[in-house]
Amino acid sequence: MKKFFLIALLIVIAIQLAVPFQMIRSQETVLRKGKLFRFTTRPIDPADPFQGRYVRLSFAADSIPCDALEIDVLERKEPIYAILSRDPDGYAFFTHWTKERPEEGDYLKTRYLYPDTEWIDDGKTLVTNGITIDLPFERFYMEESKAPQAEELARDATRISNCWANVRIYRGKAVIEDVFAEGISLKELAAKKDE
Amino acid sequence: MRKVSSKHIQWLEKELPILESEEIVTRDVARHIRSYYAEQTASGLHWAIIAFAVLGSLLIGSGIILLFAHNWDELGQSTRALLSFAPLIIGAFLSVMALMKNGGAAFRESAGIFHSIAIGSSIALIGQTYHLPSNTPGFLLTWALLVLPLTFLLSSTGVFLLYLTLICGWSGAAQSEYGQAIGFWLLMLPALGKTAAMIRVRRDAPDTLVSLTGLLLTAALSTGIVFERTVPGLWIMAYSALFSGAALWGLHSYGDKDGWKNPAKTFGIIGIGVLTYLFTWSDLWRDIGWHHIRSGWHHKTWGIWLDGGITFGLLLGWILAAVKSFRKDSIETITLALFPIIGTICFMLGSNIGNDANVISAVIFNGFMFFFGLMYIVLGCRNVRLRQLNGGMAVLSLLLVTRLFDQDFGFMARGIVFIVLGICFLLANLFMARRRKSKGETL
Repeated sequence: MKKFFLIALLIVIAIQLAVPFQMIRSQETVLRKGKLFRFTTRPIDPADPFQGRYVRLSFAADSIPCDALEIDVLERKEPIYAILSRDPDGYAFFTHWTKERPEEGDYLKTRYLYPDTEWIDDGKTLVTNGITIDLPFERFYMEESKAPQAEELARDATRISNCWANVRIYRGKAVIEDVFAEGISLKELAAKKDE
Repeated sequence: MRKVSSKHIQWLEKELPILESEEIVTRDVARHIRSYYAEQTASGLHWAIIAFAVLGSLLIGSGIILLFAHNWDELGQSTRALLSFAPLIIGAFLSVMALMKNGGAAFRESAGIFHSIAIGSSIALIGQTYHLPSNTPGFLLTWALLVLPLTFLLSSTGVFLLYLTLICGWSGAAQSEYGQAIGFWLLMLPALGKTAAMIRVRRDAPDTLVSLTGLLLTAALSTGIVFERTVPGLWIMAYSALFSGAALWGLHSYGDKDGWKNPAKTFGIIGIGVLTYLFTWSDLWRDIGWHHIRSGWHHKTWGIWLDGGITFGLLLGWILAAVKSFRKDSIETITLALFPIIGTICFMLGSNIGNDANVISAVIFNGFMFFFGLMYIVLGCRNVRLRQLNGGMAVLSLLLVTRLFDQDFGFMARGIVFIVLGICFLLANLFMARRRKSKGETL
């Protein structure tokens, strides 16, 4: 009986080790094979009790243009595929979306959040411009002492110049590689301020 | 209570099936021996030692999480990814040692808890290393599923309670993230199976009682979370059935034992007490029933079936418990069994008549609460049980005091009622203490 329990425990341990291993492998594949996209950011800084300090990022390109009628077929938080393109300055934006996984081209697997609307005619008319989506790379973890500084630097950089995140995307999966403010990596910027 | 070391108990538990199979002892005798050692003996290992071992492993596990959460920039991404395996490997090693060396309860519990925390920390650390987005339900579900086998393999109550906490947390996170958490009931099945097996083998052992308490608390918390709330007020039927079913099952399985030694009955009676008190307010019965079905993104169209299914399942459990425990001569059993019936009738009244019925329902439950309190006062006096007597008096006092404030009585009237209630409490306790003393029992 003890032997059976021991074998079962060893199998369970193997599965427990395989799960984080698979997580690492999947992220490393995206980093290695993924195409690089630059997303313009607007960062703020919170903390996670399990994972530590991080700079939370929000993105300028977090919506996809479409007609109001197209939105009717979507349920809130429904998974969709957002098709990617680059503007003349090299920054990423989404052109359209689909429920089926695209066979080719660059796309990101994401979720529909809510309609992207705005008031026009001095607040008299509400128009729907498209949909707002959930970008699955809103956290950039940093050493606990550096995260608040990095957030401050990035906030300043967003005001005066451009701040962006380098994101690798491969078969719909995304991994954030680095965040840049004034063309310099946030980690380097925070280290410089330390000195 | 005699002290017998846990190693000897473990040896005995291994021997009994062999003795049974070789027909040296009958199944009944083996069961009696097991229950004797579970009830009449205590482990040589003091509970404090187990508690300290559990606390120690909890602190070390949490400390490791915090150390890694610092996020050491100096170490590269690959080094940090590899390091995130370290706590998991240490935890796994400790679990193997606990199993191989037949470690006592303290070793098994602390190894299991450390191992379980290490699983969560490894996943979290990889998330940190690769800047993964927040996915609380996904994280909790993966963690819970990886912890689940340890609850069976290590027979650790601490790991079992951690699993229950994780699935309870998952139900909340999934409900908020996806708008539904129907999978909670699937996650509850192994916990239910494990607790049932523990009850069958060692009904009165402390770890069985702790596990049962944890299971009941999780069921009570998560039933409310998982409910879609598409039909307002349906929870009244579901919770009434849950608490009444638990209390009746406790009466059936653990007999007249109460308090810590009969967690199902205690849990059920406390639940019924709390619900009854809530039901005495007429506002609670407003806008309930089929005519007020809710819709919107967070109320799925199939929510009505989910809520209906959960309620039906709980009512079925309640019927089974009621049939098994029903005794015509026991006023307690009849009252506990009647609770969901009255709740269902009031819900139907609210559904069909509308808001005009809310005062009727509130009056019915004021009457029920009065009777509920009175019944336990009488039972407490008859059985010479202070706990029952005080519980009954607390219920009755709460009702009277609340209604006094509710009805805006003068200060004089309230003051007199408070004093009278206080005197009743003291006299009843004094009377009971003397009766017990005269019977030669200790308090």
